[in-house]
Amino acid sequence: MADVTLSDIRKSYGALKTIHGVNLDIRDGEFVVLVGPSGCGKSTLLRMIAGLETITDGTLKIGDRRVNDLDPKDRDIAMVFQSYALYPHMTVATNMGFSLEHRGANKAEINERVNWAAGILGLTNLLDRYPRQLSGGQRQRVAMGRAIVRNPQVFLFDEPLSNLDAKLRVVMRGEIKALHRRLKTTTIYVTHDQVEAMTMADRIVVLNGGRVEQIGAPLDLYDRPANQFVAGFIGSPSMNFLTGTITEQGFQTSDVVLPLPASKGTVMGQAIVYGIRPEHFRLNDHPGRASVSAEIVLIEPMGSETQVTMRLGDTQVIGVFRERISGTTGDIINISLDIDAIHLFSGDGAIRLN
Amino acid sequence: MKAELSPRTRTALYGLMCVLLIPFVFPTWWMVTSSIKPISDIFAFPPQLIPQSYDWTTYSKVFELQPFVRQYWNSAYIAALVTVGTMVVSSMAGYAFARIRFPYANTIFMIVLLGLLIPSEVTIVPLFQMFLKAGMVNTHWPLILVPIFGAPSVFATFVMRQFFVTLPAELEEAARVDGLGRFKIFAKIALPLAKPALASVAIFTFLHSWNLFLEPIVFLSSAEMFTLPQALTQYTDAYGGPMWNIQLAAATLTALPVLIVFVIAQKQFVEGLAHTGLKG
Repeated sequence: MADVTLSDIRKSYGALKTIHGVNLDIRDGEFVVLVGPSGCGKSTLLRMIAGLETITDGTLKIGDRRVNDLDPKDRDIAMVFQSYALYPHMTVATNMGFSLEHRGANKAEINERVNWAAGILGLTNLLDRYPRQLSGGQRQRVAMGRAIVRNPQVFLFDEPLSNLDAKLRVVMRGEIKALHRRLKTTTIYVTHDQVEAMTMADRIVVLNGGRVEQIGAPLDLYDRPANQFVAGFIGSPSMNFLTGTITEQGFQTSDVVLPLPASKGTVMGQAIVYGIRPEHFRLNDHPGRASVSAEIVLIEPMGSETQVTMRLGDTQVIGVFRERISGTTGDIINISLDIDAIHLFSGDGAIRLN
Repeated sequence: MKAELSPRTRTALYGLMCVLLIPFVFPTWWMVTSSIKPISDIFAFPPQLIPQSYDWTTYSKVFELQPFVRQYWNSAYIAALVTVGTMVVSSMAGYAFARIRFPYANTIFMIVLLGLLIPSEVTIVPLFQMFLKAGMVNTHWPLILVPIFGAPSVFATFVMRQFFVTLPAELEEAARVDGLGRFKIFAKIALPLAKPALASVAIFTFLHSWNLFLEPIVFLSSAEMFTLPQALTQYTDAYGGPMWNIQLAAATLTALPVLIVFVIAQKQFVEGLAHTGLKG
């Protein structure tokens, strides 16, 4: 186990710059998830930590060692790949013990470690099988077994669940988390799935275009996103954004006025982006409460909740309600907004204002 | 998806296949049956598809007239060395062209491939002069070295490269994380997975070397050194006319191991060629 420190890490392919100075301190034993849309540089960053990509500039430390120029094998890391990358011509046991064997461990030691890892991951009965004889979930577990058997300082996971079906993904998510709780090894996990990031991470690093947008605990990112990108990326369905200006009455967007939370960062007449999450709309059944009218575009009953697409002024927004809503396209409903849960961003979306 | 054929179509298809089979099977059948016919029966009219009388002495004469065992051994060990050598060279070269990024890799590969376009007849004279200077004429060295480093190996390299290109990069990256260097990745991960491609390389290299004709008649001059295809031409009577039945008996013995190898390994052969994206 070790800290991982990235100081001003950069990556260029010729003139093309893909990572623009990433700074990140990952504490010993922490589970950090790198998340972002396709092409944001999250996998490149992970591969740079693994030593599979060179680092153009900056310093990467694992523990106290600067590892920029070390081979992957000398960094004391283990990696789980998206395709699992199990060696097809080796049995599960050989796959898991391969790195130990190569590092000159004796047979008894290899057996002991492989059996230990197999025991943790429920693979004991599968040790003699070949990867082609395993299901997707089992292959995933073997890939994890191969990583833990060596007891490395850092685990790296590169979208390990994206080849599994939705149900199995939920199960494996839990297993990876349980494994981390048990081993307490520093883990860096890459995913494009914000649900995975929210449920697994101690801290999330949101990347966009090779830059860090925000680093924080999952609920901090959810409750106080630093900018419009993070606000839109974290949460599903994603946050609704309305553009407009600040007036005496509140936030004006087309012909609709919405209530404004107290904010020191705004001035009268300023153009801003107004963000509200779908679950922070309320059906206004209290006659005394200030409300706005919205036109229903689409109602999608999910059972436990109802997702309603509505038109608020010129903007289409999504609301999620606990209540069951009857109505059809074109009907008007009265809704109110949870004023404490409103997010204000600068007109270009780059800065949070409240 | 397999389409079900109607019985009539199926019968017609099998009939067509039988007709197409004739040009392939008839020469072999004629060779084997004629090898045990008296020479007069070979030229009898109408032709005897099934021998009327048998003369098994042709097979003993094969060994009496030529040092056939020695020649058999020559062919066998040369083919074995060429096969192993080509497998080593082509797998390493193919891996390098597929996996190692070096300047002008693709250009160099294209230049290497161009070697396939040069007929062996064009290079045989300069090669002869080269081996003459090296004192290797009437030895087996030219027959071993030319195929391993010449055109047959180029084709084998192409086959191996096409296979290694399809190998997932993540497997090698996993091996790097596991602590393997480039050569060990090749030897322990890539090569064991390349068995189907290696098998097809082995088969066609063996066949090529076993059937080699021009090079032996250029480089070899004594019967003790001859290989089988060359030896087959030596079964002639005092007037230089071929002793057909004895020659065909020798040809049957020559074809036998190749047929056996192909029957055993045809699955790998087809799989290996399928990997190259070639259709034959």
